[in-house]
Amino acid sequence: MDNNGLTAIEIRGLTKYYGKFLAVDDVDFDVGRGEIFGFLGPNGAGKTTTVMMITTFLEPTAGSIRIHDYELPKESIEARTLMGIVPEESNVYTELTAEGNLRFTGKIYRMSRKDRNKRAKELLDIFGLTEKAHTKVQEFSKGMRRRLTVAMALMHNPKILFLDEPISGLDVQSARYIKKLVRDLNKSGVTIFLTTHQIEVANELCHRVAIIDRGRIATIGTPDELKGSIESVQIVEVSFKTPEDSKIPSLSGINGVNHELRSGSIFRLYTDNPTEVIPSVIDFSREHGLSLKSLNTLGSSLEDVFLKITGQEVGLVTGMYGDEKSPIRKRGKGRMGK
Amino acid sequence: MKKVSIWSRTIGALGQAWAIAVKDLRTYYFNPPMVMFGLIMPVLLFFSFSVRRGTELSPQLGIINLSSMILFFTASTAGPVILILERRTRTMDRLMTAPLSMSCLLFGKAMVGLVFAVSVDLIPIIIGITIFKVRIQNPPLLAGAVILSAMSFSALGVWFGSFPVRSVGNVMMPSTLLRWPLLFVSGIFIPLSNLPKWVRVVSYISPLTYAHDAIKHAVTGSGSQSLILDMMILPFFLVLFLLLAIRLYRRVRKLGY
Ligand SMILES: Nc1ncnc2c1ncn2[C@@H]1O[C@H](COP(=O)(O)OP(=O)(O)O)[C@@H](O)[C@H]1O
Ligand SMILES: [Mg+2]
Repeated sequence: MDNNGLTAIEIRGLTKYYGKFLAVDDVDFDVGRGEIFGFLGPNGAGKTTTVMMITTFLEPTAGSIRIHDYELPKESIEARTLMGIVPEESNVYTELTAEGNLRFTGKIYRMSRKDRNKRAKELLDIFGLTEKAHTKVQEFSKGMRRRLTVAMALMHNPKILFLDEPISGLDVQSARYIKKLVRDLNKSGVTIFLTTHQIEVANELCHRVAIIDRGRIATIGTPDELKGSIESVQIVEVSFKTPEDSKIPSLSGINGVNHELRSGSIFRLYTDNPTEVIPSVIDFSREHGLSLKSLNTLGSSLEDVFLKITGQEVGLVTGMYGDEKSPIRKRGKGRMGK
Repeated sequence: MKKVSIWSRTIGALGQAWAIAVKDLRTYYFNPPMVMFGLIMPVLLFFSFSVRRGTELSPQLGIINLSSMILFFTASTAGPVILILERRTRTMDRLMTAPLSMSCLLFGKAMVGLVFAVSVDLIPIIIGITIFKVRIQNPPLLAGAVILSAMSFSALGVWFGSFPVRSVGNVMMPSTLLRWPLLFVSGIFIPLSNLPKWVRVVSYISPLTYAHDAIKHAVTGSGSQSLILDMMILPFFLVLFLLLAIRLYRRVRKLGY
């Protein structure tokens, strides 16, 4: 890492309305030069929208964006020369060959013919596409198209690389390859901004992570800081022996329970004070004639941070009691008027 | 940062526009909608409306009509086909985040229609000269008129293609409905001097009127209105259509597609 205190990306008050729908809501953050910065959030959180605004494709409704020393939108063209973009879906020209795609990219980034040819060869080699250099992309598999998309983003040697969901939908081998590539690029000084809905990706790759939910940044920190921030918060996991899960009433009314997630007969209760909650759970089950199957306390992982903030993801299904009990606020209308 | 002169910046921008045009010509030349709306349609229209009147149509007038119709349809088809396909495959996002201005990008797109239309238009002109022995009074003027017309029609197509829709059909149908009537008011099927007064007024807002008349000047040595007017109005349309297209792209950038 070569973070000498300079910012690569500076975002203030960034906001985007699609018509009346608020997709990104007054977002602030900085990304340092040489950093791997992750934007973690569930689907529809506003990650892609944010990336599209920073990379000048989409016009923000409000807010300011700085890329190194360039102010958007005034200095968009200069800023674009610093950025390489790998969008969520591979967008390559299927009528052109792999090499044709790279050369065309070189041309619109104003590289000299000599540089274009040299760099295209180099990238075809790095991405294992040399044999397919003269094959039309039409015939490429999904993984190959992805690799070519990344290669095209690197054609002009960008200082900042944007990767929107780089790992999702890839096989294990390709995923490992992309992760290694991200680390290697970063070692060579490239700032990385990536989005993901997968906690593992953020945990493994990123120096710092912003958790975004419903268009707002919930928290920003290193993966360790984020885990630490909820150390005081504990989880009590309870499961019941019952023939019918739906008969079990909500446990969220128990004193000290901040938030409840349930999946069938398994409950996760988030609390600051497990010692208060555990006896109450036992009382509660006695009162309602339920028999306990298990009762555990769990420490925090990055997943817990994510879960706590967004109220969703793997394993546990939220919202069974309807939205008023779940932490998921209704989108849109409620937060429109600013 | 190195200070770059306006001159070298312009050369650079033209290079980028040209790169886009070359890529598009390679990629979309034989695209089915392009062939259908850009090649087959003008030829069919020509034979069903112009030639039917048989004996009246001299080879000379045939060349003038057919070549201006081909220019009109071929050049204005490239824009919508290419722009909408690029938006649908999201390759347009690449161009819109590359270091070039929107005007440079759209100028590149307009050059596609130009090259496409001019190359197709050579066919009737060459057939006319070799087989029907048509004498061109002013060949350099013909070249100039063909290129200027193709440029402004191509820009018209770029404007059509800049409406924020996802399917080629959504733009092709309305734009075809808009283009057909122009054939009747622009001096092609009915000479300008035979038009009723109010239609003659409408003909002044059709770029096809000026293109057809300029080509007529070049082929026969005389036209229905001032040649200078023709040659001045055509570039005006080019600029107008490109400006309208750039305005629509501001909307695209707000909507996100
Ligand atoms: N072009 C668009 N027009 C209208 N709504 C959109 C558009 N793009 C995205 N959205 C909406 O904005 C929200 C955020 O989308 P997106 O930024 O793609 O989220 P993410 O990338 O985090 O999954 C979603 O609810 C999505 O439906
Ligand atoms: Mg997304």
